[in-house]
Amino acid sequence: MASAEIETAVQEAVVGALGVGEDEATPDATLMDDLGAESIDLLDILFRIERSTGVKIQASDLGDYIQGGISDEEFGDADGIVSRKGLEHLQKVMPQIDADEYEGKLEAEKVISYFTVQNLADMVGERAAAAAG
Amino acid sequence: MKLEGRIALVTGGSRGIGRGIAEALAAEGAAVAVNYRSSKAGADEVVAAITSAGGTAVAVPGDVAEYADAESMVKQTIDELGGLHILVNNAGIAKDGLIFNMDPGDWLEVMRTNFGGVFNCTKAAIGHFMGERDGVIVNISSVMGERGWIGESNYSASKGAVNAFTRCCAMELARFGVRVNAVLPGFVPTELVEGLVEKDGGKGILRQLPMKSFGEVADVAQIVVFLAASDSKYMTGSLVTVDGGAAAMLGTGAPL
Repeated sequence: MASAEIETAVQEAVVGALGVGEDEATPDATLMDDLGAESIDLLDILFRIERSTGVKIQASDLGDYIQGGISDEEFGDADGIVSRKGLEHLQKVMPQIDADEYEGKLEAEKVISYFTVQNLADMVGERAAAAAG
Repeated sequence: MKLEGRIALVTGGSRGIGRGIAEALAAEGAAVAVNYRSSKAGADEVVAAITSAGGTAVAVPGDVAEYADAESMVKQTIDELGGLHILVNNAGIAKDGLIFNMDPGDWLEVMRTNFGGVFNCTKAAIGHFMGERDGVIVNISSVMGERGWIGESNYSASKGAVNAFTRCCAMELARFGVRVNAVLPGFVPTELVEGLVEKDGGKGILRQLPMKSFGEVADVAQIVVFLAASDSKYMTGSLVTVDGGAAAMLGTGAPL
């Protein structure tokens, strides 16, 4: 989990980069679908987070975090649906995704669109702790 | 002094317009990294001229056409001068000739340095600029990028590419606090254009220019200073011609 400081920094980065209101950038808001973030927006958010927290995250790191080091073949099946193993990992980094509810239904390509402000804050918090430890 | 505390990297700064730009930026208080590819002696001269006038400068080697060199010159500037705020993409070459007579490779060589250099140095510098949310890029293009001239097809194409790239850079980087503009000089007698004026002392060209005179290095350098300073804070994606009216002209208007 992320500290209150980091959660504030992430929310401010999202608000600043996307020009959305604080009331829109709630912890549950998804960056891409709810808030309309595109790749350049994501870059802006990550640069702002680095500036305010010192935690450096590259856009490519997001995919790695979501997949958790699980290989493409193990994460998704031949039809691109997230496997049970993949879902179990996702529950850890994106707890809003219920593994039972999404079993056999979640397209691997769509996972990033479920990434929320809170998920990002947790990722920053984890990175900050790893850097400090 | 408009650029006190600012740090600049000028590619191709050892001679010609690049030298003028390096000295003009330094005169306004900027610390300047003077990049050279092969003219180390020239770069050292520029550094000496700046430091003897009370400024700060270092010579930084590298070929802008090689991305690794672009990265190392940006890094060296930041390491030796303590940062980077202003990138002047000035390095350029020419290989004039009729298309009919050119080697197939002649367009690529010019494109690799004139546009490739701008791309490479821009890419190498913007990570720093975007992190700081502060940066200015000035691309030294040419009025040739906007209008035709016999024998300049490869040069013209490379400068047209720079102009298009300037606009896209400006769009992508504006939200990160980075401004990107280009200066488009007309005819300024330097080594690069020696060949054009040697046949008749330039009379053939002068006849075709509204002002009937060549530009001076300082005419270009002063615009670069303006674009690098906060005086131009609302300008980005602009292509600024400094050409004695050349691009405005369709023909000499005779007979009337």
